[in-house]
Amino acid sequence: MNARTILLAAALVLSASGCDKLDDWFGSKPDIAFAPYGDDYASKPDFAQVEYEHPIPLQELARITPKYLAGLNQEELDQLYARLSSGPIPDGPFDGEIVFPRGSSGKLRVAEIIGGLKGLGVNFKGRMLETAGEALWKGKVFYRDQKVLRNRIQDLAVLRPVIGPGDIPKIDVDGRDAWLLFPAKLYCGQSLIDSRRESIIIDYAFTDEIRGYREKPDFLAGRRGLKVRDEIRMVRPGLYLGRAYMDHAFILNFVLVNKDVDKAGRAEFETGQIRDDCWSGTQKRVLAAR
Amino acid sequence: MKTSFWLGLFSIAAIAALAWLTHQPETARATLPSATVTAQVLPDVFPATPDAASLYTDAGFHEAEAGLSPSARAGREIWFKATAGNARFHTYTFQQRVTALIDWFGVLRGDARDTRFRTWGLINDPGCCTPGSAGCPAKSYEETYGFDWCPGDEALLKFVGKPGYRDPACDFKDASTAASDPDGHKQGREVSCNLAFGTSTGALGFRKFPNPRFDAAAWKQVNGRLGTWEGYNRKLSDDPARSDFKVRKLADASIEPPFLIGTACASCHVAFNPARPPADPEHPKWENLSGLVGNQYIRVSEILISGMPHDDLLWQIFAHARPGTSDTSAIPNDQVNNAGTINALINTAQRPTFAGEKVNRWRKVAACPAGAKESTCWCEPGKPGKCWEKSIKSETVHHILKGGGDSIGALGAIQRVYFNIGSCAEQCWVNHLTDLRQLDPQARNFGQTPFDIGQCRRDCPNFRAVEDRLHNILDFFLTAPEGHAVDLVEARANQRGAPYAQAELVSDLERDFGKDAVSRGQQVFVANCARCHASGKPPFEAVDFRALDGKTGLRADWLGNDVPIPVTEVGTYRCRSLHSNHMRGHVWEQFANEDYHARKTVSGLIEPHDGGRGYYRNVSLLNLWAHAPFLHNNSVGPELCGWGGDKANPYELYRSSYVDTSQPGNPPLAKDKQPACWAYDPSVDGRFKLYVASMRDLLNPAERIPKATKVDQDIVLDIGPRIFDGKEEKRLVGFTVRVPAGATAGNVGNFRHKDFIVDLVRAKLKPKELEARLATMLPAAEARKLADEMQTIGRAIVTDPDRLVEVVKEARARTPALWQVYSSCSAEIENDGHRFGEDLSDADKNALIAFLATL
Repeated sequence: MNARTILLAAALVLSASGCDKLDDWFGSKPDIAFAPYGDDYASKPDFAQVEYEHPIPLQELARITPKYLAGLNQEELDQLYARLSSGPIPDGPFDGEIVFPRGSSGKLRVAEIIGGLKGLGVNFKGRMLETAGEALWKGKVFYRDQKVLRNRIQDLAVLRPVIGPGDIPKIDVDGRDAWLLFPAKLYCGQSLIDSRRESIIIDYAFTDEIRGYREKPDFLAGRRGLKVRDEIRMVRPGLYLGRAYMDHAFILNFVLVNKDVDKAGRAEFETGQIRDDCWSGTQKRVLAAR
Repeated sequence: MKTSFWLGLFSIAAIAALAWLTHQPETARATLPSATVTAQVLPDVFPATPDAASLYTDAGFHEAEAGLSPSARAGREIWFKATAGNARFHTYTFQQRVTALIDWFGVLRGDARDTRFRTWGLINDPGCCTPGSAGCPAKSYEETYGFDWCPGDEALLKFVGKPGYRDPACDFKDASTAASDPDGHKQGREVSCNLAFGTSTGALGFRKFPNPRFDAAAWKQVNGRLGTWEGYNRKLSDDPARSDFKVRKLADASIEPPFLIGTACASCHVAFNPARPPADPEHPKWENLSGLVGNQYIRVSEILISGMPHDDLLWQIFAHARPGTSDTSAIPNDQVNNAGTINALINTAQRPTFAGEKVNRWRKVAACPAGAKESTCWCEPGKPGKCWEKSIKSETVHHILKGGGDSIGALGAIQRVYFNIGSCAEQCWVNHLTDLRQLDPQARNFGQTPFDIGQCRRDCPNFRAVEDRLHNILDFFLTAPEGHAVDLVEARANQRGAPYAQAELVSDLERDFGKDAVSRGQQVFVANCARCHASGKPPFEAVDFRALDGKTGLRADWLGNDVPIPVTEVGTYRCRSLHSNHMRGHVWEQFANEDYHARKTVSGLIEPHDGGRGYYRNVSLLNLWAHAPFLHNNSVGPELCGWGGDKANPYELYRSSYVDTSQPGNPPLAKDKQPACWAYDPSVDGRFKLYVASMRDLLNPAERIPKATKVDQDIVLDIGPRIFDGKEEKRLVGFTVRVPAGATAGNVGNFRHKDFIVDLVRAKLKPKELEARLATMLPAAEARKLADEMQTIGRAIVTDPDRLVEVVKEARARTPALWQVYSSCSAEIENDGHRFGEDLSDADKNALIAFLATL
């Protein structure tokens, strides 16, 4: 396996799928306030205060779409994520979409760091990587009772050198076929961005202990590979916002969507009946506008 | 792609750069004594040992309350038992967010009860027992999940794996509130359940809580049975060629252990009463213990990182504290090697205070002014008349911590101890800490941000549970016996089981240290030491340092004026004084008063030292006889160890810090030249012997063997994915960074890798900007040279990343300013400084040793 293949595989591991169909199903843009912030880390507002001063009403959470999330810069995504809680650990297949970190200029953060013409180039390449990732990664499948998750990977011939020979379990979601690769453990755990309440953790560190593990390519996400650890919080049933880390360093955001779960859970959500499976902290989470 | 490659490598360099270090030999020598105390003979307040039938109850703990006021009794129980909710932190947050693993079973396993003190310096709880031993309610470790059985476990163990545990703190017997409190505060105290006691683990101050998420079947799958954690704390591979050789199953956060482990203040502060030491330190009785003396033996750094392999970067840079010292800024990491002693909290009523300091803090009030913002006045919902108002007022306060950083009042300082041990971590302070992996200066956790006391009060019930009872804890501090000094004369009387008068002590000391040594020692003390180590004002010639205060009954003089002095004056290892957590914009900003923030900048230091840094308090010498070794880091005097220093013993955590300053890089001293470590000996004679040896080391700085804690194993960082074919592991891409054994551990931890990485990127992308930034810290020519050097470093790393450590070392040799800009503290010799008294005659040194032994 050469470096180029590794890069391809890394894109595959870290992607969040290309569901261009995940567009705006839910109407107009939600009215969500963000606390003021500047560029420097020290200017970023404390999450506890953001939540206290800018609670998100349920009806606004209900209007969030993947497209809306994809249009936020990283600080806005962070402030939004911090005002979510775990919700229930999902079950079943979810479509996925990648959102790379963008700075306040709207460019990818890495392009901002580089700046100038080179930065523009990096921004362009990054967007290509985003698109490539979306083409490969279709989403995730949660096996809630087993506390396990697997990723849905497009079954493309080009990936065979990465994956190697042999049969690979498949899943068909809405008529779209995908391999099931990169198993991970699923549990409630510590968020790496907001300590005030737990997130649902998708942990690849001990992926080799999970039934169906195959060294190629699953090791890439595990403790001998890129050390991937995802965390997700619920926007509402059927829509989760996630963050992917490599060896505890933040890499990208992703969105998980299941329309059927969304519809089925809507009434319960709107009446504030959805429970958190994970520790929800002691700061009162205000969901209704004050 | 080329630029991306640069960035990638620079990011990797960040991790690796944590490892390089360098040796800027400083001339060794140095010193300064640390605190200690004196006190009067205490009445025998402890009842006889409980009979066998009641041995394994909490009765012994409560019997030791005899004579305390209700408030002090309440404070004592909180001090010994309250975790204020930090069990989550020590079980999940620390491991997953801070990424340091604790092997709680390795530290607290019941079958190692008999060696717990020697290995970890922990004090066994006399109320607990070994399952299966005579009289112990638990018959096997299967019932206790491998731990000791402790009072309260009859209820707690039923809730392992189930919700619904009712914490014993819910039954806490509250004492009265402070008389000055507004009624709303008196009536509206936070429920005591949020003090969160749990039950003892078997080691005092370490408390356990049943984990409702525990799954017995999953546990058995990992461990084979319920009574052990050996599958959970095992290494994944015994093959050093495998990367799993360095990984323990503890890293699998999907495993839920049976207990969450919390810590009370007593975890570090309880130890043996110097005047009533136990016959067997592994099996003390309550009468042998004091909750305020400070544990001089605990290896708290090693405990908190016990789940990491010893060749791991975290182990090597954090497990460097001497027994009895704790790096209290290790978790809110300010990248300053910072270990300091756990002080004896004695004779607090006589401790100097400082009037007229400007204190910006919250104060209890009955109501808020109309229209007041919540950021300046807040009332607790549902608690009428329970409000706090924040403002700056002139107050009389203590200076607490080595540099006096905690300076908003004693109660505020006590409360901060709870945060230091993890309370409200999730709600209030982890989000404000530095993440060592965060390299984007625009992203949260690139650096610290200030903890907000008002926010924490609002959002964390454990904060309120402690805050509403702080005066009880202070009352405990102020009360005999645990809060009072204990003199050598009393200790010897107890040791002999016969009366032993002051005159006899003086006679014995003069036999050992020379005729009239005690009286001559007082003169030497007055002439040489009292300006810093007396709490009164000069002239000192006529002062009776053993005189009692009429009001408190304590020795009137606290034997230290607590005044902060520039570290350049005392000359001791300066890193602790450069601790930055109390600076504006940093995590504990709100615990320092305005005078602290406005301190005059100390001159003569090369590292950043503004914002209140660069000072050490003049410490107390009360009971010095019982608190050796000396200095803020216990570095002057013999090195201590639990097992005699045998490195072949896997339980021996001692690492020699003696170095050879005649060689470049201050390498470890040849083994045959290293003084042997002294095994822990808390007996009266053992303490006195250690005191004398430490005093001689203190007063003879030219004879001190320099000490600098070294990395004692190569730290190897393998960067890049590795595939395993069932037989062999192969790295696909990446490189290896190796920090060789012998590097100075403090320097590795003090290296500000984030600034370094950001500047490497600047050097490549915006060189003029880098030069301008460096010019704010260095003369223009040096700034230009360093900016050029950074470009050279960047190119060299890109060419051969395996050579990262060497590249930086070579660069430092060419451009010493590199260290000045990117190190929080470049001091190396830990036992240097405090040379006061070195010119005294031998007779006067002996006299001083004799005199101080009487205080």
